Amino acid sequence: MTALSSMVFVLMLLSLFLLGVLTLRLARTSRQQRSSIEELNEALRRTREYAEQQKSKLAMRSDLDTVKDEFISTVSHELRTPLTSIRGALGLLSAGLLGNVDPKAQNLLRIASSNTERLIRLINDILDLERMESGRAPLKLRRCSMYDLAHEAVDTMTAMADGAGIRLELTSFAPRDSIYFDADSDRILQVLTNLLSNAIKFSPTGSAVAVQIDSNPNSLLVKVVDQGRGIPADKLEAVFDRFQQVESSDSSKKGGTGLGLAICRSIIQQHGGAIWAQPNQTGQGTTLWVQLSRSARASDSASPGVIEPPAERGDGLILVCDDDPGIREVVAEQLRQHGYEILEAGSGEEVIALTRKRAAQIAQNGNGARNGVSVRPISAILLDLYMPGLSGWETLEQLREFGPTASIPVVILSVIPPTDRPPQAGNAQGWVQKPFNENLLLAELGRVLRVKGQSGHLLLVEQDEAMARAILEGFGDSGVRIDHAATLQQAVDRCLLGPPDLLILDLTLPDGDGFSLVDWLRRQPGLQALPLVVYSGREVSEAEMAKLRLGPTQFLNKANVQPQEVEAVVLTMVQRLRNPAAAPVA
Amino acid sequence: MRQILIIDDEDDIREVAALSLEATAGWDITTACSGADGIRVAADPQRKPHAILMDVMMPGMDGPTTFRQMQQNPDTAGIPVLLLTAKVQGVDQRRFAGLGVAGVLFKPFDPLTLAAQISEALGWKD
Repeated sequence: MTALSSMVFVLMLLSLFLLGVLTLRLARTSRQQRSSIEELNEALRRTREYAEQQKSKLAMRSDLDTVKDEFISTVSHELRTPLTSIRGALGLLSAGLLGNVDPKAQNLLRIASSNTERLIRLINDILDLERMESGRAPLKLRRCSMYDLAHEAVDTMTAMADGAGIRLELTSFAPRDSIYFDADSDRILQVLTNLLSNAIKFSPTGSAVAVQIDSNPNSLLVKVVDQGRGIPADKLEAVFDRFQQVESSDSSKKGGTGLGLAICRSIIQQHGGAIWAQPNQTGQGTTLWVQLSRSARASDSASPGVIEPPAERGDGLILVCDDDPGIREVVAEQLRQHGYEILEAGSGEEVIALTRKRAAQIAQNGNGARNGVSVRPISAILLDLYMPGLSGWETLEQLREFGPTASIPVVILSVIPPTDRPPQAGNAQGWVQKPFNENLLLAELGRVLRVKGQSGHLLLVEQDEAMARAILEGFGDSGVRIDHAATLQQAVDRCLLGPPDLLILDLTLPDGDGFSLVDWLRRQPGLQALPLVVYSGREVSEAEMAKLRLGPTQFLNKANVQPQEVEAVVLTMVQRLRNPAAAPVA
Repeated sequence: MRQILIIDDEDDIREVAALSLEATAGWDITTACSGADGIRVAADPQRKPHAILMDVMMPGMDGPTTFRQMQQNPDTAGIPVLLLTAKVQGVDQRRFAGLGVAGVLFKPFDPLTLAAQISEALGWKD
């Protein structure tokens, strides 16, 4: 009995002890849970606050844009009316049609006339720039020959060049069959004549201005080379800003508006290309470079007058959501022309209702065909961010919360550049900045649909062979296709050949650095919102991070993350992009 | 001699346009300062013009409305009308062209070539 009672006693003690331990642990766990719930709440509150701020900023921007558009359009009309009388009166007087004019008065009339012309050009340029930047001047793309366009520009400018005693020389280094590309020919012509007019204005009499065309499999290059006074190094970028001249007296002496290069840059960017200025190697004069990508479909044959769709034929049902019926109509029409089937929604609420209804129909019909009626699933959603009622953010959130609609790819249409996208937009698969052109939209949509349909394709940009091998080993038999580029040029070529689904980037490269690659990618249609993992050997500062952001971007330090561990991060990211509901947003 | 009617609510523009056409082409110009006034002049058999150059934005009846009224009036229906506008946006151009006018010219016009632009739009060879 004694033994039994002592055993019972020991057992009682033991259970008391266990109970104590358990209570203690429970208390600690609930404290931990409480604090993590508090943290979550705080994070949620901050996210909501951020979303609210963004929403009101967007609302403000959109209202301001409308007011600005109307204002500029009205002002330009109101200015034209008095200018009509002034131009008419001065023109008739200085032409001597109403009798002879004293030479001194004639000179004054000439001054008044030429400045009237300048004012008219200025108003036209302001209106032009404003229309382009507000997205109300969509590009009319067709297959063009760069040689023909350059030839036409040279012909147009010959009279001006002759007047200034300057020779225009056109040379093409590109094989004749590799100069075709998809572009708005009027707009490209406008750029070329503008560059020529600038070159002529700033060249000494008796010198030559050269136009040179070159190409590689992926892009076309046009150079306008002058022998002028050159642009100082600190102004090479600034000359593309509005009303920026190398010397403040230039606009009055040369009769320019100060908007020419800003318009050129706007047009080239709309085409997904790049334009920049560089001093000539000889030390005299400047070269203006224009780089345009030859679309993947370019078939190296002319098809004059035929409007050709620039991108691959699309296949799928796309839901286009924007509260502006005008934008909806334009987008829908462009996508239809490229083979997509379109559904439209005027609000976030409509998107939710439509997607849920369709999901329910599909679930009910089994494989989608019953009673001879098949319901096609929605392949992707194009979603405006700022809308009355449910905003784009909230719509996205609600789509993700509901199982059957959670993994529909979403491409955001926004005035915010993809590089500034806020953290909670991380689970939209695509991003197109407004104003957008057709190519950009199609490229991004194509990319998003591809990512969904295929096994992953990654590009590793790493100059160190041993490091690259180690990272590649990490991926082992994950089934992901992974290409390796050791230089900036190789990376550019790879991206143009076939855009990867994700880029792993080292910052140090033998022929440049990661920053210049990101900078280039940001200017390429379809690559602007590429998911990116920066894997660098050093700490990346906040400022540098801002310069490196593309699409969803993560930063890894080689000091903390082993090459073999990159795989896990990357695959989680790819997984999340494909199926946002499956993995939490980092 | 060609007779042209200019309809514009701006006195200065009427005067400059008239001077320009007289001095460069030697045409005979009448002017009117509103749509209603223009219709009265155009419908008058004594003063019926060969062509009308008309402003788009005018108080009261604007250019397009005046044009439509002229089309319905047998006395004025056959006269070719050219619109003169300070609106240069593509949307406006297409809207005006859709009216069935003989042409659209833009402000500010070049006073030395205005007559040539009108002749070209109307297919006048002389």
